[in-house]
Amino acid sequence: MSQLQARFFTENKRYVVDDVPFSIPAGAEVLDLSNVINKLLEAKNASHSKVEFDFLVRGQFLRTSLSTHMETEGISTEDVVEIEYVERITAPEPEECMMHDDWISSVDADAEWILTGSYDKTARIWSVEGKAVMTVAGHTDVVKDVAWVKRDGLTSLLLTASLDQTVLLWEWNSERNKVKARHCCRGHTGSVDTVATDPTGSKFCSGSWDKMLKIWSAVPTDEADEVEEPADRPRKKQKTQQLGLTRTPLMTLSGHNEAVSSVLWCDSEELCSASWDHTIRVWDVETGGMKTTLTGSKVFNCISYSPLCRRLASGSTDRHIRLWDPRTKDGSLVLLSLTSHTGWVTAVKWAPSHEHQLVSGSLDNLVKLWDTRSCKAPLYDLAAHEDKVFCVDWTESGLMLSGGADNKLYTYRYSACQTDAGA
Amino acid sequence: MEFGAVFRSLTFPQIFNFNKKPAEEEEEEEDEDLSDSEDSVFSGLEDSGSDSEDEEEEGSNDKEDGDDEGLKTGPEESEQVEFYVCVSRVFRVQLFSDVVVPVQDIRNTVGNIPMEWYRDFPHIGYDLDGKKIYKPIRNKDELDEFLDKMENPDYWRTVHDKQTGSDIVLSDEQVELVNRLQRGQFGDVNFNEYQPQVEFFSGDLMVHPVSNRPADKRSFIPSLIEKEKVSKLVHAIKMGWIKPRRQDDDSRGRYYDLWTNEDSSILAKHRMHLPAPKIPLPGHHESYNPPPEYLFTDEERALWEQQDLSDRKFPFVPQRFSSLRQVPAFPRFIHERFERCLDLYLCPRQRKMRVNVNPEDLIPKLPKPKDLQPFPTTQSLVYRGHSGLVRSISVSPSGQWLASGSDDGSVRFWEVRSSRCMKTVQVGGAVRSVAWNPNPSVCLLAVALDSVVLILSPSLADRQVVSSSERLLSGQQEEEPAEGVGPVTWSEGEGEELNQGIRLKIQHPKAVHQVAWHAKGDYLASVMPDHSSHLQVFIHQVSRRRSQNPFRKNKGLVQCVSFHPVRPYFFVATQRSVRIYNLVKQEMTKKLQANSKWISSMAVHPGGDHVVCGSYDCRLSWFDLDLSTKPYKMLRHHKKAVRGVAYHRLYPLFASASDDGSVIVCHGTVYNDLLQNPLIVPVKVLRGHVITHDLGVLDVTFHPTQPWIFSSGSDATIRLFT
Repeated sequence: MSQLQARFFTENKRYVVDDVPFSIPAGAEVLDLSNVINKLLEAKNASHSKVEFDFLVRGQFLRTSLSTHMETEGISTEDVVEIEYVERITAPEPEECMMHDDWISSVDADAEWILTGSYDKTARIWSVEGKAVMTVAGHTDVVKDVAWVKRDGLTSLLLTASLDQTVLLWEWNSERNKVKARHCCRGHTGSVDTVATDPTGSKFCSGSWDKMLKIWSAVPTDEADEVEEPADRPRKKQKTQQLGLTRTPLMTLSGHNEAVSSVLWCDSEELCSASWDHTIRVWDVETGGMKTTLTGSKVFNCISYSPLCRRLASGSTDRHIRLWDPRTKDGSLVLLSLTSHTGWVTAVKWAPSHEHQLVSGSLDNLVKLWDTRSCKAPLYDLAAHEDKVFCVDWTESGLMLSGGADNKLYTYRYSACQTDAGA
Repeated sequence: MEFGAVFRSLTFPQIFNFNKKPAEEEEEEEDEDLSDSEDSVFSGLEDSGSDSEDEEEEGSNDKEDGDDEGLKTGPEESEQVEFYVCVSRVFRVQLFSDVVVPVQDIRNTVGNIPMEWYRDFPHIGYDLDGKKIYKPIRNKDELDEFLDKMENPDYWRTVHDKQTGSDIVLSDEQVELVNRLQRGQFGDVNFNEYQPQVEFFSGDLMVHPVSNRPADKRSFIPSLIEKEKVSKLVHAIKMGWIKPRRQDDDSRGRYYDLWTNEDSSILAKHRMHLPAPKIPLPGHHESYNPPPEYLFTDEERALWEQQDLSDRKFPFVPQRFSSLRQVPAFPRFIHERFERCLDLYLCPRQRKMRVNVNPEDLIPKLPKPKDLQPFPTTQSLVYRGHSGLVRSISVSPSGQWLASGSDDGSVRFWEVRSSRCMKTVQVGGAVRSVAWNPNPSVCLLAVALDSVVLILSPSLADRQVVSSSERLLSGQQEEEPAEGVGPVTWSEGEGEELNQGIRLKIQHPKAVHQVAWHAKGDYLASVMPDHSSHLQVFIHQVSRRRSQNPFRKNKGLVQCVSFHPVRPYFFVATQRSVRIYNLVKQEMTKKLQANSKWISSMAVHPGGDHVVCGSYDCRLSWFDLDLSTKPYKMLRHHKKAVRGVAYHRLYPLFASASDDGSVIVCHGTVYNDLLQNPLIVPVKVLRGHVITHDLGVLDVTFHPTQPWIFSSGSDATIRLFT
């Protein structure tokens, strides 16, 4: 077996080894290299306890033997290989399983509360520990998306978007555990599939099957916007009165040729939307104009944006997760595709504290944890679900959530390496 | 004493008898002598002085020598002895050639001088220490010499060293050496005087010049002498003194071209000429003196004789003759010639015309399916919920909803993107056909079950759309049909049915198999196949609740009908043909002959100029209405009956579903250019449905905007391929 010259380095001060080239067998795999590093660390520091490491060669995770990896990456075996090593990311541990009455369409979680939307026409609030706190009922049809608007103190604002073409803005008092519909946002003429709150919490945007994006004010007021259409049906009038004051959109962004499937705010001025017309569009909220169009070849189901690496991840019906740079001018460049799912990718979410990691859910019942430095294989497959996965989320406190057609919302505790998080 | 031996040695003194074996002790002595001399070589002259025996012998030899000269006066003899000495020295040198030895005998330092100079002294020289070397004391007289000659068998090989005065008996090797020298050969046996010659100048082209001498000046300066000679010749030619040699013209025609005047027509006649097959050349068997392996053994010969004439390998037996002269005449010569002529005469020789066609070339050039993307390739979603086979599916014009009718008596509405069943309507009977109203501003579904056609309003769309569809359905209210007793009765849904969304019921006299909407969404056609009646097709106007039977005659069992997407044409597929009627002029415009036995399904291209028909005999026929009434293309890719065909509204795709459980997606580009035929390429076989009760895929339909295809099967599932 041939030997390779390799130099190991790490960003982690705890595990630094001497900066000298080592000769290692070309067929070495991750475990062998990990043993090598552990041996070195033991030689340096007798009290060192064994740590599992992962290895990066030119920014790509080593998943096969070193020689095959370098062959596929086209790295010369003549030179000294620079191998970075990081502490192996431990597998996310399943924590809670929250049973719903029906399919879970969406989930939004923060450090304390989890908000889920379900096909039983309700949204639910759960504590992080898995206790059902509140059921938000009011929609006349399936709840398609949910979002927290603001959580200050005991009162929180939350949004539910539904197939009944409305978005409801609710106020929830966590102490008294009372929920009250403050506003009913009317204006869409199709199922509202996605809703997103802007970073300041003063506006939100909704995307619908009717190809429109609408921007609404998220600030609850005590007076209703006047509705242009005369309420011809008394039944509907009643419903409106029941569910809070009617609100009309601040702005309507039209441009998509097909249903809008996902929308998000890149920052407070920029909006990004994915659609079934195979495009991702970036909008300027101030002017209401379209800034960029990223054109793909398949229907987009979901997008997610990471401010850490400024990349857009999209999940589409062709089983790939693609990474985009929303700032490119030509707007058709796929930076990377992550391929391992076997069904439509229905949900993606970037890690809030790690620039390389994201989580994805797919119709093949799997939730996968990805690292963009290893685009052929995910870090971990989370095979908890027995049916289609529709939504995933990832909170800043390191909790991953996924819900799907098996009526279960799973949470996973994920201890991202503290050292690696800043890398 | 043997006299003969003496005589021999005397008469042939120079010939040494090599056969004569020296006595053993003599040999030993000789060895001693040799070893002595060896010793002396290595250990200086110490030995020579002390070795008295040697000295004695030498002395006697010396004496004898001197006497010899006197007695025999054989000049050769004395020379010979001299020569021996010399040889012994040379030989010594040769023996110890690996050690550097001076040629001179080192026991005596007098040098190479005539030894006569020491004749009168008691000594013959000096050793290295400067001491005198005394002559050997014993002096042989003539008699001793003679006795020695007679008795000593080694006498002939004994030589006298004048310088030391000792006698030396030559060893065999030395004798041999002497012999060789006498014969004029080289002393060294191993020396090859005929070394292979290394040619200095050879024919081979060498890399380097033999000599690096620069070329002579004369080699590049024109020779004055030659110039002079040439100028003399030129002058002579000019003056006419020298005449060129007369050219011998060959006009007499010693040689002439036999074929110059050949008529080309004769050649043309023989273009197909086949040369007669050549007789194989004679082999070794035919030789008069064949190698022994070709001669027959007894068994072979017996076999040959037993064999039939035609089975024999050769018609003759290979025979051996000592000379060609003895070969008899070949008895079968005439016979063989005759057979050869007969062969040539009777053999039918004609050239086989073979056309070499590469089978690849016969296949039409079609683009690769890879280049024709997008088209559905993989199964993405399965819509489960029905409990009976799903006969019919239809997608809403927006592409958000999918309606399916099943034998379990229900119509289900599915959300396309999540495969969620949003609504189930129990209609109480096996649903034969569902059709979503193609008008996007209304949301209605026509359902055929038994003899009823239901119009459902699933209220899955925008309120305005729902209300407009309600308006469409209730628009007729004011004009109640005058002719109350038609074959078709209209009624409204009531009570629970209304809650389920059933708005209208159209009661037909017979079982309805298919419903089809007009593109505008107002007209609805229903099919009731019947052999014996002309009441097979109804066209209903929903907004006015009117029904009419457009046909007066039974032209065959109607299988399915379809409206032209833009023009007022109506397609009616019977068992073997498709009739196209102009609804405005009320006449038949075209009759398409499908070359199949039983048409099962039909789809009209969104452009309206192409029709594809599936049939129960596994065929799919594509008609180009502008081209012909015969199918432009027949596709026989399915193994079993084709149940459903569909066109995509936007993409150039069409698909067929079959009982073999597969859906075949084909690319079908049509061109506006009338001269260009449609391009039809099968691109994908989609499998997924399980065959139950010998039924596979029952219906197939495309998504209105995406290149996706839905298929419903007898396994109670609907599958989405993307």
